[in-house]
Amino acid sequence: MREDGRRTRIMAAVNGEDATAGAEGLVQRLCRFAVDEMALSGCALVLMSGVESASMLAGAGRHARTVTGLQMELGEGPCLYAHAHGLPVLLPDLSAQSANRWPAFAAAALEAGVHAEFSLPLTVGPGGIGTFDLCRDRTGMLSDEHMADALVAADIARDAVLYQQYAPGGPGLPELLATVGTDRIVIHQATGMIAAQLDDTIANALARLRAAAFASGRSMYDLAQDVVERRVRFHE
Amino acid sequence: MSETGAARPVWRGNSGPGGRGDDVAREAVLARAFVRLADTLASDFDVVDFLHGLSADSVEILRAAAAGVMLADGRGGLRLIASSDERMRLLELFELQGAQGPCLDAYSSGRTVQANAADSRARWPAFAPEASDAGFQLMCAVPLRVRTDVIGALNLFRRDDEPFTGAEIEIAQAMAEMAAIGLIQERAARERNLLTSQLQAALNSRVIIEQAKGMIAEYLTMTVDDAFDLLRSYAHYHNRRLSEVASDVVDRRITSATLGRPPGQHS
Repeated sequence: MREDGRRTRIMAAVNGEDATAGAEGLVQRLCRFAVDEMALSGCALVLMSGVESASMLAGAGRHARTVTGLQMELGEGPCLYAHAHGLPVLLPDLSAQSANRWPAFAAAALEAGVHAEFSLPLTVGPGGIGTFDLCRDRTGMLSDEHMADALVAADIARDAVLYQQYAPGGPGLPELLATVGTDRIVIHQATGMIAAQLDDTIANALARLRAAAFASGRSMYDLAQDVVERRVRFHE
Repeated sequence: MSETGAARPVWRGNSGPGGRGDDVAREAVLARAFVRLADTLASDFDVVDFLHGLSADSVEILRAAAAGVMLADGRGGLRLIASSDERMRLLELFELQGAQGPCLDAYSSGRTVQANAADSRARWPAFAPEASDAGFQLMCAVPLRVRTDVIGALNLFRRDDEPFTGAEIEIAQAMAEMAAIGLIQERAARERNLLTSQLQAALNSRVIIEQAKGMIAEYLTMTVDDAFDLLRSYAHYHNRRLSEVASDVVDRRITSATLGRPPGQHS
C-alpha cells in the first residue's frame, strides 16, 4: 500500500464524531488505533522540549504511562535516545543484549511487564518535537505492515501537533491531515527558506507554511514552489 | 520491456573506436568505483554523499545521462536519497517514482527493470511523459538488496533509446549490491529493527540537506541548486559529513556568511 493510501485509511479510522476536538483528541485516537490494530499494551505521544522535559500529550493502553514515567524517573531510555538522535529505537526484546544500552530502564520496564518497546522520533529536520512510543507485554518485532502504520501514524501525530501551533482549534484539521504530503523535496527547501525569512526554527517555519497553504486553499506543494521560485515571501 | 536476471559474465566496451585501450581505461574507472564503494568506514562517511558517488560513478561507467538512488521509506514507498545531478528538475523526476515508475517496480519485484520510451508509456502513463519531457528515452532500475530484503533501487536514464547491455546491467547490479552492503552495517543486515532505524536516518539526512539548501538559498540569494554545491564543497573541504554540515546550517551553528566565503578563508 502506498503511503497516501495508508494515511487516508488511518485518518478514516481515527476521525471520530468529535472531528473538531483538535490535535489532542486526534492524537488520543491515533494511540487507541495503534493499541487496537497492533495488539499493544501501551501507546503514547510524548512531547519533549530539551532532554529533561517531557510530557505525555495522549496515550492509550495500560502501559501508556509506564515507559515515559520510567524514563523521566531514571533519566535514561529509548525514547530519550530516539528524541535526542532523531533515530527510531526498536527493541523487540527488552531482555536481549540490544536493550543493554539502558540497563536501569530495561530492568524496570520488564519488572512493570513491558517486554518490547518501539520509539519513533517526531522529527522536523535536525530537531524533533517528541516521540511516538509503542510497547507490548510480550516480545517480538512489529510486522512490516504494522511498522508502516506506526510510522505513518507518527507522521500524522507530528503534523497535528505542529499545525495546532498556528491554527489552534480551527476547523478542518482532519481534512488537512488526510491530504498533506509533507515529504516532498520542494516543501523541505521552502521550509528552510521560510525559517531564514522569519529567523525562526524549522518546526515553526513548517507550521507557518502549512497554515498559509490551508488559509489560502492551496496545496502545500504549490505554495512551496512559489516560495522556492521567490514569488511568495513570509514576514513576521 | 525486459526483466533481466543474471547476465553473461562478460564485459566489453560495446561501442566507440578505441577497443582494447578503452576497455582497460574503463576497467580502471570501474575498479576505482568499487574501491570507493567499499570505503564506508571513513570518519566522514555520509549516506547521501556515498550514494551521490554511486550515482555519479554509474553515469560514467554505464554511459547513462543521469542516475539516482531511492530508498524504502518504511511506509510502503520510496524516497530519493541521492542523484548524479542535483538540479531540481531531475530530483523531481526521481521523486515522482515514489508513486509510479521503474524504481518502484524494481523495488516491489526485486528484479531489474528496463524500458524504452514506448514501453514506459504503456507501463507508467503518469511517469513516462515527465521522463520524456526531461529528455530521457531509456530507463533502467536495479534493486538494492541486503540479503533477502530489497531496500531501494538504483535508477539509470539515457537520452537515446539504446538499451543497457546484459553486461552493463550486470555491472549496475554489482555496484548496487556493493553499495547496499556498504550502506547497511553488518549487524543491521541481520536485524530488521536496526535496518529500519538506519533507513529512517538516511531519509532524514536528505530532508535536512534540503532544508539547509533552502536556508542557504535565502541567506545568500542563490538558487537551491547552487546552495547544494556550496554545502557539498564546504563539507569536502573540511572533511565533514554532508548531513552534519547541513544540520549545523539549519541549527545556525554554521552561518551562511561562513559558507559563502571562498575555500581557504573558512574559519
